Amino acid sequence: MRSVFQRISIIPVLVVLLVIVSATAGHAQEPRIQMSHLDYLAAKATETVDVNIDERLVQIAIKVFSDKDPDEAQIKKLVAGLKGIYVKSFEFDADNQFSAADVDSIRNQLREPAWSRLVNVRSKRDSNVEVYVSLSGTSVNGLVVITSEARELTVVNIVGPVDLEKLAHLEGSLGIPDLGIEITKPKTKNEDQ
Amino acid sequence: MNDEYLWDKSGEPDPEVQQLEQVLGRLRYQPRPLEMPDNFREARRHRYLPLLAIAATLALALLAGVVWLRARTDSKPEQRNEIAITPPSSTVNPSEKKNEEQPQSEDNSTSTDRDRKVFAVNVQRRTRRPATGLSKTERAEAIEAKKELIVALRLASEKLNLAQKRANGPATPGQIRNQHKIG
Repeated sequence: MRSVFQRISIIPVLVVLLVIVSATAGHAQEPRIQMSHLDYLAAKATETVDVNIDERLVQIAIKVFSDKDPDEAQIKKLVAGLKGIYVKSFEFDADNQFSAADVDSIRNQLREPAWSRLVNVRSKRDSNVEVYVSLSGTSVNGLVVITSEARELTVVNIVGPVDLEKLAHLEGSLGIPDLGIEITKPKTKNEDQ
Repeated sequence: MNDEYLWDKSGEPDPEVQQLEQVLGRLRYQPRPLEMPDNFREARRHRYLPLLAIAATLALALLAGVVWLRARTDSKPEQRNEIAITPPSSTVNPSEKKNEEQPQSEDNSTSTDRDRKVFAVNVQRRTRRPATGLSKTERAEAIEAKKELIVALRLASEKLNLAQKRANGPATPGQIRNQHKIG
């Protein structure tokens, strides 16, 4: 009789545990990375960009984008399904203000099979650039871009389905300055000749 | 052999029975304090489990209550209060009053709500919302979020283009390039 009571009383505990475990698992599946350990760099930086937009803010922001303006409509379409955009960017007036461990701590969260490294460019003279994507089937549902220079560190994390081509094309629209970087197009026959 | 001894211990006992009594008598019940089994304390350690279960159930119920209350307050419709004010009879012209009283006399049974004139309508709105469906504070928050979103997208786009340029462009000395194709 006592064992029956014990079994019955354990059920709610198991339910609570199940809820906690499923919530934790759900959180773990999201392609969001932790960047809070970089916050200490803000004190050293001359310019800091810290953007934290979760799904709720994305949905609210969408409401004030105009459908009549083609640029705004384009952005609205791009961000409609996003679950969050998180950016940390620091610019310094001196070299070596951040350590390799700072970048490694980001990089360590981007391991396979959840993440695939799309681009990895390392240079002693120029900036290092890494692009990671989280894939769900064939579609991208998470993006991380890490760029590090002697005096700059930027980490961009986009959570949710994102069209990389459309995102790259955003430069130049809606006050986003066009840096004059051309998206690679397939060469035509005349160009080859 | 006397069988009576076996029934009520009367009469002469059989020596064999007496011997058996002596041997088995050592196993008879002897009062002594209760000895608890060794694993009894082990079992007592798990007594907090029912309490934990009750606490967890209460917490869940509380959580469900909060969620339900929130959902209820969010979906609560606007309250519309109509205040009906009937003008005082002294301000009305007697001739008009006469005209007004005439139809009343025709049908006194229906002279209730239908004859009451509504002079003011007080519509209590929880929040005045514009066409976008956002309150004033929400709109301010949305505009701020939009600005931040554009900054974030600008940086993301810029860095993505930089990555593309660096991956496709000519290699600088000491540069290691590693580009993977997906899909």
